[in-house]
Amino acid sequence: MTFLFFIFAALALIGGIGVVAFKNPVSSAFSMVVSFLGLAALFIQLNAFLVGVLQILVYAGAIMVLFLFIIMLLDVPQEEKKKLPFFTALGAGGIVLAFIALLVVMLSRSEVGDKTLPALEATSGPGTSDVHKIGELLFSQYWFPIQVVGILLLVATVGVVVLSKRELK
Amino acid sequence: MPVYSLEIIVVALGLVMLLVDAFVNLTDKRSIAWIGMLGLLVVFGLLFMVETPENTDSVFWKFYAPDDSYALFFKGIAVLTTLVVLIMGANFSKVVVEQTAAAAKGAHPQAGLGEFFALPMFTCAGLMWMASANNLVSIFVALETVTISFYVLVAYLRRNVGSLEAGVKYLILGALSTGFLVYGFAWLFGITGSMELPVIAEKLSSPDVNATASLFAFALILVALAFKVGAAPFHLWIPDVYQGSPTPITAFLSVASKAAGFIIFLRLSAPFLASGSLVGKVTFVLTIIAILTLLIGNLAAMPQKNFKRLLAYSSIAHAGFLVMALASSPVKGTANALTPATVITFYLGAYLLMTLLAFLVMAVVRSSTTSEDLDSYKGLAKRSPFLAFAMLISMASLAGIPLTAGFFGKFFVFKLAAEAHQWLLLGAGILGAAAGFYYYLKIAASMFLSDSDSPESEPIAIDGITRFAMIILIVAIFAAGINPNLIIGLLT
Repeated sequence: MTFLFFIFAALALIGGIGVVAFKNPVSSAFSMVVSFLGLAALFIQLNAFLVGVLQILVYAGAIMVLFLFIIMLLDVPQEEKKKLPFFTALGAGGIVLAFIALLVVMLSRSEVGDKTLPALEATSGPGTSDVHKIGELLFSQYWFPIQVVGILLLVATVGVVVLSKRELK
Repeated sequence: MPVYSLEIIVVALGLVMLLVDAFVNLTDKRSIAWIGMLGLLVVFGLLFMVETPENTDSVFWKFYAPDDSYALFFKGIAVLTTLVVLIMGANFSKVVVEQTAAAAKGAHPQAGLGEFFALPMFTCAGLMWMASANNLVSIFVALETVTISFYVLVAYLRRNVGSLEAGVKYLILGALSTGFLVYGFAWLFGITGSMELPVIAEKLSSPDVNATASLFAFALILVALAFKVGAAPFHLWIPDVYQGSPTPITAFLSVASKAAGFIIFLRLSAPFLASGSLVGKVTFVLTIIAILTLLIGNLAAMPQKNFKRLLAYSSIAHAGFLVMALASSPVKGTANALTPATVITFYLGAYLLMTLLAFLVMAVVRSSTTSEDLDSYKGLAKRSPFLAFAMLISMASLAGIPLTAGFFGKFFVFKLAAEAHQWLLLGAGILGAAAGFYYYLKIAASMFLSDSDSPESEPIAIDGITRFAMIILIVAIFAAGINPNLIIGLLT
């Protein structure tokens, strides 16, 4: 299992680096799909099957297809090669390396990963699926945040219309 | 009337405003702002009448802190700020109409204005939820509601390059800071196994807590919170975003967003500050951030030529004083009426009054001079004695001159720092306050002294409601400056 973890974690990371590094927007979008696949596999390894499947269906499937459509339709040109000033590159690289070093130290010194967290609980009996349990939790325990997220989506919708329509009615 | 009904009313008002905008044929869309203002006034009145139901066992109260006078106070700040933002927005509507997208053929000439008044209502609801959030999940969703509506509002002037630039900068940096926040939450959840702040506090104060991991979680959360409140070294977005945003939104960002950021800051740092094994290191980091913020904010404000940029650096400086209060948690065992939470709340109340007053004056001056440079305030006393007086009061209070609300704000912070024996911090604070005297009073002096070479000399017209709002703010600044218990009394 650890072996699989490292493979998929590497896949997610390589995809993520590809998104930033590629100059061609289509290549970037495809790297993002790769990264999402790696992430989905990690979720499934953690027994979060629904989250993993949603990651593929919604993100890698629907959203990335939309991204590609937009890139193709707008014919987004290839990004120009920009030279980073030396000190900017040095600073950015330094921060990234320092954060990685910090993470390595942290993960080796803390035993957080050894703890088992409580499994999903739902009132329905044993043998019910993940989807069932998450749905029940969302609309019984977490109904308040869900309502707030509803307002958030409304705001986002209004914002998109205002900011992107060519002519306002 | 239960506490949670306030947010429901605000959201409902926002929906009504959106629907009126869509379906009612108005000749002047500013009437939508009037609906909002009236509604918010009613909500502000209701703040004094709400109560927590006796039975708080239901799952809802795991996300929403029951019976909390601080939360109510911060809700008051959110409602009042939104009210003033709507007043400023109505004054500002000409610029908004000019600089959003063109109206389609046959459409209303003020197309796109209605949403400019409706969106702040949802932001206000988000801010109010933030004030009451006592669970990592509700903190996150409320914070995101606020942030996403700000992304839209900051970039609202689509045909203005400055506004678009501010929007993009705010979006990218805001998303990055949200990433840090969520990562910190994940660590916190991993350490304590709970999303509820009371449970987290309990777990963190037990002696066998994993100190290294907890401090790492705190560091990640601190990055995000310092970004939200504009504390150094995460303040770099503030001047550009403040300068580019529409003026009413700048006021909204600098008051409401900062206040809500601080109540989250208070709530999230409280479990760490209460834990015996973590408090030393947490205080140390907060002290460093406070000193940096005080020095950078105050010293960088001195050479500014643009008024909005000056207020941006001033808002960083005030964040420094607020973090300073947070870093001066009293030594255990000494009972004191003034806790950091009380001091921060008082300071934010005073900050609300004086900053909104400054922005109101600025919005009026801006509409008659089309410039935000400090030079356009030269000789303001001759053009409009009332505006100059209002600005003078606001600047005096921001600098912290006695008899104004700002004085007691700074005084309480210094008192806390002295009691906590934070001498270095106190030194930085006094240096910052002294620098503040220079740049705030420089503006006041230029309004009154140099009248010979003022670029324009026509008097400036002020409409009734703006004048009324200014008078209320001036009276409140003096009232709180003479008797600070007026504000502190609201907390108990």
